[in-house]
Amino acid sequence: MSTIDPRIHQALDGEIPLATLPPELRRQAELLEAAAALLAAAPAAESVAGRVMAALDHPARRSRLVRWLVTPRAVVLRMRPVWSLALAAGVLLVALLPLREPPSIAAVGEEEGIAQFVARFPGARSVAVVGSFNDWRAGSIALEDRDHDGVWRGVVVLPAGTHEYMFVVDGERWVADPLAGRYVADDFGRENSLLIVRPVKL
Amino acid sequence: MNASGAPSDAEVVARVLSGDREAFGVVIRRYEPGLLRYAARMLGSRDAAADAVAEGFVRAYRHLASCREPARLRTWLYRIVANRCKSHLARRPRAEVSLDEAPPVADPGDNEAAVELAEQVALVERALLTLSPEKREAFVLKHVEGMSYEEMAAATGERIPTLKMRVHRAREALLQALEDYR
Repeated sequence: MSTIDPRIHQALDGEIPLATLPPELRRQAELLEAAAALLAAAPAAESVAGRVMAALDHPARRSRLVRWLVTPRAVVLRMRPVWSLALAAGVLLVALLPLREPPSIAAVGEEEGIAQFVARFPGARSVAVVGSFNDWRAGSIALEDRDHDGVWRGVVVLPAGTHEYMFVVDGERWVADPLAGRYVADDFGRENSLLIVRPVKL
Repeated sequence: MNASGAPSDAEVVARVLSGDREAFGVVIRRYEPGLLRYAARMLGSRDAAADAVAEGFVRAYRHLASCREPARLRTWLYRIVANRCKSHLARRPRAEVSLDEAPPVADPGDNEAAVELAEQVALVERALLTLSPEKREAFVLKHVEGMSYEEMAAATGERIPTLKMRVHRAREALLQALEDYR
């Protein structure tokens, strides 16, 4: 590979007018410009709009299942007054049980494991976990800071395997987990934290 | 809304994030031609380019909430598709890169000018594929997609001095290849 006169680079970078180049240098610069113009004008592939929109219509089945499981939804129960009293007693009983217990081992499937997230964000109004397990949708796994000490915690059941994740602080700031220990570069110039969930042995 | 009356990128992104999935079609129509052109130049194959761009758009849709600067959506999309192209290049045998797309064959019905143009395009495409992927990317973003060095930095994650050096080296190698073919 030979080097070319630096004035050609200057002209192509718009630092000096092309017309000021000597004839041979101008010919070389124009050859490169013509090559670029040919590349820009040549027809590219056919549109992918149809297949992209179809893919958005039909997300992967596992993703849909995970999203359905983790998305909060309203449930309306209609019942007779006599049953309302019984239900109220049941709700009171549940409310008196210790909170924030980790998920029961018996409730975890063979191909699932328990993941515990702990992060320190003093002053944050909310902290959520997003990752490959919930389609990177903020809000579906919210951490809690019950004693207001800035340490946010959450325990969730996830499919066994390797997951990428990040914390979303106050709904807008994406932060890698400083305690993750493992990271992987994403497509957007950042590093995601890596989480390995091992299946619970029943 | 911009001067032409079309919604700005930031407005379109906000619509998609608020649940208007069809608004993503605006993003596709707006940036698909350039992304397909870029991917085809990087991969030397229109089919592989279509795959890379389609994958890129789906990933972009699913991660749209993480696009920190919707006003710079264009370079963000190029970055995603660039990474898809790198994955494609890493997956396939090296020899396939330059042999996937045969030079266009002249149709007897074509006129002489069209045949000559097709031959010129094939010559330039072959010369481009002799460059390393890094130099090819730098040349295509700079001279085919018309990006500034700042935009290139945003699209590739590389530093501007590195990109300038790659563009210079790409020009030198391409000029050499074009002169050799003449």
